[in-house]
Amino acid sequence: MFERALTFGARLKGFFGQRLADSSFDEEMNTHLEMLTEKYERVGMSSKEAARAARRQFGNTTLLKQRQREARTTMFFANIWRDMRYGTRQLAKTPVFTIVCVLTLALGVGANTAVFSVMHAVLMKMLPVQDSSHVFYLHTSGYPDGASQTGETVTSFSYPVYRAFREQSGLQDVMAFIPMSSSGKAPVRVGAVPEEAAGDMVSGNYFSGLGIGTEMGRGFVQKDEDDHTPVVVISESFWATHYERSRNVIGKALYIKSITFTIVGVAAKGFEGTEGRLPLDFWIPLQSRPEFNAWGAPAEQGIYLTAPQFWCMKLMARTAPGVSREQALAKAQGIFQQAAYIGLAQRHQGDETYQVSFHDAKQFDGQDNSFARALKVLMAMVCLVLLIAMSNVVMLLMARNANRQREFSVRLALGAGRKEMVRQLLTESLLLVVAGGAVAWIFALGATRVLGSWARIQSNLQPDNAVLWLTLSVLFLLALVFGLAPLRSAMSNGPEMVVRSSATASQASSQKVRAGNVVIVTQIAMCMVLLVGAGLLLGTLRNLLKTPLGQKPEGVLVFGVHPKHISTKEESVAFFVALQQRLRTIPGVESVSMAANRPGSGWSSNGSGVTVDGHKPNGIEPEQASWRQNWVGADYFRTMGVQIAQGRDFSDADSATAPAVAIVNETFAKKYVGTLNAVGHVIGNSKGLHPLLIVGVVKDHKYTGITEEAKPMRWMMVTQAGAINELNIEMRVPGDPTEMLPAVRKVITQVDPDMPLLEPMTQSAVFAQSISQQALFARLAGCFGVLAVVLIATGLYGTLAYRVSRRSAEIGVRMALGAQRSQVVWMVLRGSLLLCVVGVIIGLPLAMAAGRGLESSLYGMKSLDPASYLFAIVGVALVALFASAVPAGRAASVDPLNALRSD
Amino acid sequence: MATDKSEVLQGTLDLMILKTLQALGPVHGFGIARRIEQLSEDVLTLNEGTVYTSLLRLHQKGWISSEWGVSENNRRARFYSITRRGLKQLTVETENWERIAAVIGRVLALETKA
Repeated sequence: MFERALTFGARLKGFFGQRLADSSFDEEMNTHLEMLTEKYERVGMSSKEAARAARRQFGNTTLLKQRQREARTTMFFANIWRDMRYGTRQLAKTPVFTIVCVLTLALGVGANTAVFSVMHAVLMKMLPVQDSSHVFYLHTSGYPDGASQTGETVTSFSYPVYRAFREQSGLQDVMAFIPMSSSGKAPVRVGAVPEEAAGDMVSGNYFSGLGIGTEMGRGFVQKDEDDHTPVVVISESFWATHYERSRNVIGKALYIKSITFTIVGVAAKGFEGTEGRLPLDFWIPLQSRPEFNAWGAPAEQGIYLTAPQFWCMKLMARTAPGVSREQALAKAQGIFQQAAYIGLAQRHQGDETYQVSFHDAKQFDGQDNSFARALKVLMAMVCLVLLIAMSNVVMLLMARNANRQREFSVRLALGAGRKEMVRQLLTESLLLVVAGGAVAWIFALGATRVLGSWARIQSNLQPDNAVLWLTLSVLFLLALVFGLAPLRSAMSNGPEMVVRSSATASQASSQKVRAGNVVIVTQIAMCMVLLVGAGLLLGTLRNLLKTPLGQKPEGVLVFGVHPKHISTKEESVAFFVALQQRLRTIPGVESVSMAANRPGSGWSSNGSGVTVDGHKPNGIEPEQASWRQNWVGADYFRTMGVQIAQGRDFSDADSATAPAVAIVNETFAKKYVGTLNAVGHVIGNSKGLHPLLIVGVVKDHKYTGITEEAKPMRWMMVTQAGAINELNIEMRVPGDPTEMLPAVRKVITQVDPDMPLLEPMTQSAVFAQSISQQALFARLAGCFGVLAVVLIATGLYGTLAYRVSRRSAEIGVRMALGAQRSQVVWMVLRGSLLLCVVGVIIGLPLAMAAGRGLESSLYGMKSLDPASYLFAIVGVALVALFASAVPAGRAASVDPLNALRSD
Repeated sequence: MATDKSEVLQGTLDLMILKTLQALGPVHGFGIARRIEQLSEDVLTLNEGTVYTSLLRLHQKGWISSEWGVSENNRRARFYSITRRGLKQLTVETENWERIAAVIGRVLALETKA
């Protein structure tokens, strides 16, 4: 074994030193010949005779040189090179076949790579932290009464809980991080232009605890947290986009919410924070200024450091070495049970125990399940597509190799070894796979980017090494299958076939036909599953798009505004009313209003407790009467295009000093007032306090998103609310709303140069985004369905065309014996339709099972939706007919005389 | 002519060369050919070129090493010498050969008796 390795090594070396070794061997040989000649001359031969005798004694020099060269280097590379050239020539000879194979592979493998890449990044990839098996996200199952939290219930903890974990739990590190606002972004300024950047306020041990290094400068230390120092660490990509990776960035100022922060470090490349789909641009230590309250919340009741009822901190922990996850969790749970109640009411007997839990430090923490499920369904779909693609290519290769049997027999007859033939075929399939794989990778890079932007994930999803390995192993497997599967058909005939008349060999063996049939039936069954799935999801998408919104979002521009120095009700009313007045003066603006929760964004304020005119609402217990609400500005319903059923819209007259008013929707009026004529009634909270006069009833319309059901809802004037420090401005304008943005920006800059527009977009886009995930899912499923259909059409066509061409002699005989053309056409069509029927019958139960799996992703559809099944069956049948029409026509045009004569 | 000379048995040339190199020390291809010719007393036919095939094989296996030098009549020539691993291999091969030769000898002796 060792000798073999040595020999191979020597040969490998010889391969590269080929020419040098050749010339040195020449010299050695010539010396030998000369010495031999001299020897013969010494015994008295003439120099001519001596030279001849020497050559005789030495042997054939050319042959020796050749042998020597072969032995010296390995022929491996030369042979491979020869095989590759031959294979390339063979593939180039049949460009259609090659292109179809490469594209089929590229689509199959590329779609898999892209979907896997996203799935891997979202569901499996770990944060780039040190020793990630000891790092966990902390979640809680709940929070005590009296606490308020951020909307992200499971990840929110209070400051006292954070301190308790740090000081008592025995966890090695507890890191805290808090988003700058509910969107995750905050106004920043690098040069003159204010913009939004995503950032977190983090604990002093954030970088050291996670084990994240820096490109340059430093991370934070405990003192930064304790002193709330105004320093900032920026991300590597922010460094690249805003500072051109300048080494002088350390010490420069970055203005965050108009406060000067000094850049002290650049985080290690590849670290994008711990916020999942939002890659962060900067991190600052925990701050104590009121405008830096957690999540950008108003600081009326104190900021997160002093308000124990505000559960707003996200936590991660690193367990100490040698301590198991369970041990650490048990200890943390003990601390949490006590700490959860700090600053809040005492724990009551029988209250549920809030559980803290550890979650792996993945890139995406606690991905919501619908997205994970959608990804898994997509993965299953692309796997089916890959299977179909693979069987297609195998069938194409088999057909092609069977057509080349003449060539193979000739080569065998001329002395090619079977080993050489196998190597040749493997090389050809390898070439196909390499070409397909290369195209697939390019395709996957693009597809991943598109997938990411459609799913609104801004963080990095590009295929990494794990994905590359998976793709390579899939490709390797494919190369093996493609090389080996068609071997039998290629090699089944020996060299004698070349002399045999091919008419006798023209009937495909029944075994081979059966194998082909099984593949086609399987493909059709898989196609059924994909088409039914695609049909169901596209139906869902159609239902989503058709759902009436009850308002006219077209022509409405929306953007958020977050003034910094508002702490009282008077200030906020003054600011927003003045802003509304100024925006109304922009030429062309039809109306301007405001809303606390942006309609369509998914945000909603929910609550319960209603009395009507001081009594029980329509027989319902006052405490049980739940509602949703929104704080809005004057002209709200006119601006949004909501029809007012009764009464009036809010107006400027509904000021802070005017009587408190409300507008309710029809569901609210019917359910709680008991009549649609609700105007004039007064609603209060469950104790009958805070009375609001109903001045209008509006038609039910969508609030959080497209898929919601109508719920009782009420609207109140922002001018009659408490202090509000962030509102969405809604503007109805003629034409494209985004064209109004420059004029709007000018006005806003005059008000405050450091105040950016938050997420400016059209109101239509907000609603579109509320279903973007379902839409993405459905569109992709549709794409994969179409892809499967196209693949199956080409596969079926290829197989049938091949069979017809093989049977042309038989068809010729039939026609010579009096078969009609229509009979021949029917014979071919019948074959493929039969396969189609069998495929559909097998595919139906599979499709039903798949449909049941999809049920939770459907909207307004049943999993047994007959239209989707009909669509799939008709689709498959059409494909079968279409794919067999051309071969059938060709069969019918066989000229019996030619067919019989040609072989 | 053909009857009184024997072809060199496959594989035995390697052994002969190893032994030659062990006995003579560094020597060039021509020298090896002469030595074998001399020892075989013209019993063996040998295309001297095959010596080089054998030398290359041994070299690749790491049993011999080579180095350029100057021959006795002032020619540039490649001198081969046996390596430590080659020496070990020579012992093994010699034992092998003796065993086989003994067996063959016994088999042939048996036949004459019968």
